[in-house]
Amino acid sequence: MISFIRVIKFAFQEIGRNAGLSFMTVVILVLMLLSVNVLWTVDVVTKEAVGLVKEQINVSLYFKAEASDQEVSEVKRTLNSFPEVLEIKTQSREEVLESFQSRHQLSPEVLEALNELGDNPFGPTLVIKTREPEDYKKILQAMDVPEYDNLVEAKSYEGNEEGIEKIQNITNRIERLGFWLSLIFLIIAFLIIFNTVRVAIYTHRIEISIKRLVGASNWFIRGPYLVESFLFTVLSIAITAGLIYLALHWLDPYLLLVFPNGFSLTNYYNSHIFLIFGLQALAVLLLTSLSSLLAMRRQLKI
Amino acid sequence: MIKLHGVTKVYNPESIGVRNLNLHIEAGEFVSIVGQSGTGKTTLVRLLIAEEHPTKGKITIGDWDITNIDSSNIPFLRRQIGVIFQDFKLLPKKTVYENISFALEVAGENSSRIRKVVPQVLEIVGLKDKMHRYPQQLSGGEQQRVAIARSLVHRPKIIIGDEPTGNLDSLNTVEIIEILKKINEFGTTVLLATHNREIVNSLRRRVITLRGGEIVSDEREGKYRL
Repeated sequence: MISFIRVIKFAFQEIGRNAGLSFMTVVILVLMLLSVNVLWTVDVVTKEAVGLVKEQINVSLYFKAEASDQEVSEVKRTLNSFPEVLEIKTQSREEVLESFQSRHQLSPEVLEALNELGDNPFGPTLVIKTREPEDYKKILQAMDVPEYDNLVEAKSYEGNEEGIEKIQNITNRIERLGFWLSLIFLIIAFLIIFNTVRVAIYTHRIEISIKRLVGASNWFIRGPYLVESFLFTVLSIAITAGLIYLALHWLDPYLLLVFPNGFSLTNYYNSHIFLIFGLQALAVLLLTSLSSLLAMRRQLKI
Repeated sequence: MIKLHGVTKVYNPESIGVRNLNLHIEAGEFVSIVGQSGTGKTTLVRLLIAEEHPTKGKITIGDWDITNIDSSNIPFLRRQIGVIFQDFKLLPKKTVYENISFALEVAGENSSRIRKVVPQVLEIVGLKDKMHRYPQQLSGGEQQRVAIARSLVHRPKIIIGDEPTGNLDSLNTVEIIEILKKINEFGTTVLLATHNREIVNSLRRRVITLRGGEIVSDEREGKYRL
């Protein structure tokens, strides 16, 4: 216990008496964490935007007017059995008519023609949402069987096929780019942090050898550096979190203009705070501790 | 106290540190190890504090065979031996007081004893009034006295000096040797590796002469002869 208290005391002493080096180490950690968070934020915003675009895509199955509710329910049940299907909304004949009328309320000639027909000419409609845009093809292929020919009037997907594929291509590319960008960034962050810690330890190499010569055990020497790593991590995470929240406070009003669903980065960070900063703290702590231990290995052989 | 049996240290075929050393140093002796640069004095010191392991032979300190001492036991060995180096080896970011207390702290000594003992050893080396200074605020002689105080603080049975006066002027050299003599009078074994002729001749104690890594003479009351 007494050794542990001394290790903590030495860690604070080292930080205080090497204020310049400590300051630079924290600055570099903060800069790296900020970069990681910028990338994280860009990724979140991109995913949100892609999700929003995907949400706009759906496929409608227009049934013939004579299709019965039971037949529609049967098709719905079949579609629901596909794991790719996320949601199916049923619009009754009346709802389709209402929707048509409201869409064309400024076109009296269309409404007049509808009146001429007398009866509701529309059949029920199923609006299908799948997990991924490419799933639509599969769903509709499954519907493309002769037994449904007498039931289904039209499928709206065919007309949108090209658009959906384009969106799918773009979103795939963005996701792939995001992945590689994150990977490259993480490698750079790793190398910078690793080298910063190595330089810090290198400047202490003579002190480490002296400590060994006066009978300090390896853990008594390593201890303060590990505690320092912990303190640097906590400090850099706290500073980064403060700066990130400041930036989000400024950024959120702009995002509200872009995202009609009220998406807010502050809310996102609030609800994922432990995941985001906990994960980063863990990564930095592991990285700095591991770098310290590796860098000290050579000096501790004396 | 210190026994070496056929100790050889080979760094590589072209560089042999010491060769077939047989040596027995009794408790309480003051022994000078002399020889020109590169004759193996420092290798011998490094072997005794387990900075190096012998290629051949056996080293015992007291009843402890340190020939192939496990790295986890090295700190315990070093807490039993006080070592003074030519370049002082003080921690630059610690004060005089902290440099000395550090040697006790690593050994798990309690704080109240540290607070009591450190000023006492600083008193012995005449630096009590400078205990809150940093090493760079002291002269070379003062820094070496701090190093001696640090080596003394855990009351070691053996003190080894590796050219401890090599960086000092003659006045400071005399002071340091006087302190070492005083320490020896209290029963501590002192091993002094040096190539300072005046010191060795003035001591009139046992002198071991090394040449080419071998002991070429071992005299009870010797003089500096190469």
